[in-house]
Amino acid sequence: MSDARDDIVTVGLLAEGTHDPGTPPAGIRRAPTGVDDLATEHLIVNMGPQHPSTHGVLRLLVELDGEEIKNAEVTLGYLHRGIEKLAEHRRFDAIGTLMDRGDYVSGIMGETAVALAVEQLMEIEVPRRARWIRVMMAEINRIATHLLWYGTMGLDTGAMGPFLYAMRDRESLLDILEAVSGARMMFNYVRPGGVVADLPVGIDTKIREFCDAFDTYVEEHDAILSGNEIFQARLNGIGVIDAEKAFAFGLTGPNLRAAGVDFDLRKRRPYDAYDEMDFDVPLGTTGDAMDRFSVRMEEMRQSNRIIRQCIEGMPEGEHTAKVPKVLRPPAGEVYASVESARGEVGVHLVTDGGMSPYRMHYHGPSLYALQALEDIIPGHLIADGCVMIGSTDIMLGEVDR
Amino acid sequence: MRPGIDDIRTLVAAAGVAVEAEDAALGVVARVAAHDAIDALSAFSAGGYESLVDFDGIDTGEAIELTWRLRSYSMDCEAYLKTTVAYDAEIHSAWNVYPSALMPERETAELLGLRLAGHPNPKRLFTTDGIPPLLRKDVAIRSEEEVKNR
Repeated sequence: MSDARDDIVTVGLLAEGTHDPGTPPAGIRRAPTGVDDLATEHLIVNMGPQHPSTHGVLRLLVELDGEEIKNAEVTLGYLHRGIEKLAEHRRFDAIGTLMDRGDYVSGIMGETAVALAVEQLMEIEVPRRARWIRVMMAEINRIATHLLWYGTMGLDTGAMGPFLYAMRDRESLLDILEAVSGARMMFNYVRPGGVVADLPVGIDTKIREFCDAFDTYVEEHDAILSGNEIFQARLNGIGVIDAEKAFAFGLTGPNLRAAGVDFDLRKRRPYDAYDEMDFDVPLGTTGDAMDRFSVRMEEMRQSNRIIRQCIEGMPEGEHTAKVPKVLRPPAGEVYASVESARGEVGVHLVTDGGMSPYRMHYHGPSLYALQALEDIIPGHLIADGCVMIGSTDIMLGEVDR
Repeated sequence: MRPGIDDIRTLVAAAGVAVEAEDAALGVVARVAAHDAIDALSAFSAGGYESLVDFDGIDTGEAIELTWRLRSYSMDCEAYLKTTVAYDAEIHSAWNVYPSALMPERETAELLGLRLAGHPNPKRLFTTDGIPPLLRKDVAIRSEEEVKNR
């Protein structure tokens, strides 16, 4: 024991102007000599919840060699909203609000998936105005969701400022969503046949103001992070998910498009009024964290473009089709999916002719992203693990549903 | 988009698997026996369906029906594979064919009371041991009274 202590050298105060760069500052003790040769064992650590959207529901069981992650296992639980089971005991027009509690920051998209499934089963023709309203609301919700991701992406790399700026813009969007739907989070706005209420008077002015302001703000957001050298160093080449790996792990949405795969349900399987909209689908090249960042930044610009088109060309007409008070689709099964902010949100709906679904399966993209994370995290440092989780933009509400 | 029904029939049959195919409201659906499911999935994979985008199960009241949703990005189309297994049956993992089956298989097995074989990590994903298979029809949800009296 005493041998080790003998190796510790305490450095005294240096005389002014005699600083030797090879000497530690005053009061700092050197590590015992030979410390690099010490035999160490791998450490098993429970990591997380670390990201805001993983609170209490996700931890990584990681095997560490120093700061390097040798192995990672995703451990889930316990949110347990029981959405799928509850849906079997709810009427068809009430399932949407369960979906709000899945991916709880992209509620409009989840509600739309259920509505599309019921409309397919019942062959309901949705009025054109309702389809346009749905598109506009979904894109407003997409920007709000991407802003939350943007802010937390900054936090994951050690930057606090971008989160505050993102919240400023997100508040404006939540004001609009609240004015239209009555809620800032659990919207319950999209219903089979259309939307529950028409747009309030004067909302177009508010939306236009946001679109104009956001044209400037999005460039600021982009510059604050993507123009930062530290941020670039943290993201470039980190967590590469190429197209082959993305296919293998069933990735969809921005994570897939960052790998260069041109697949967006809004273009490939247009629903609502997306076939009437003019927008581009941004793609990455290598599939690293920076590509995932860049794709989402550009998606915000494109969403703003779509919102502007909606507000300028909003057709007149009914906000909902004439649907029975109690929906009773005929027996059968359908699968409807929408392009949510995180990827493909799908609903596999099975009915037996009753007033509630016989079975409703909720497909969310984050479960599949987690599988890919288990594969790509090993070999990286702990800090890079945080960046990778942030860059895939997972939402645990849709995983442990 | 929907593939041709004959294309799907030919694709699966080429693997030596007896298949019934139909063009249903869900999409183009291939039905195979449970013991042929992995071979059928391998045939889909070899036939250009690069991704398994979803996997789930349904308690039909008599058995468990499993549904795989497969997508070909190169051909821009989707197809469904279905099979039926008995309650408490053992299903073989497809993770070697489609790695994306890793977690949905754990979820489906756990919530519908199936046993998972050939999976690298077959433990429960969401719930703890002792919790019944919640998505089975014979597992009732708690009434309001039961919740209040808990």
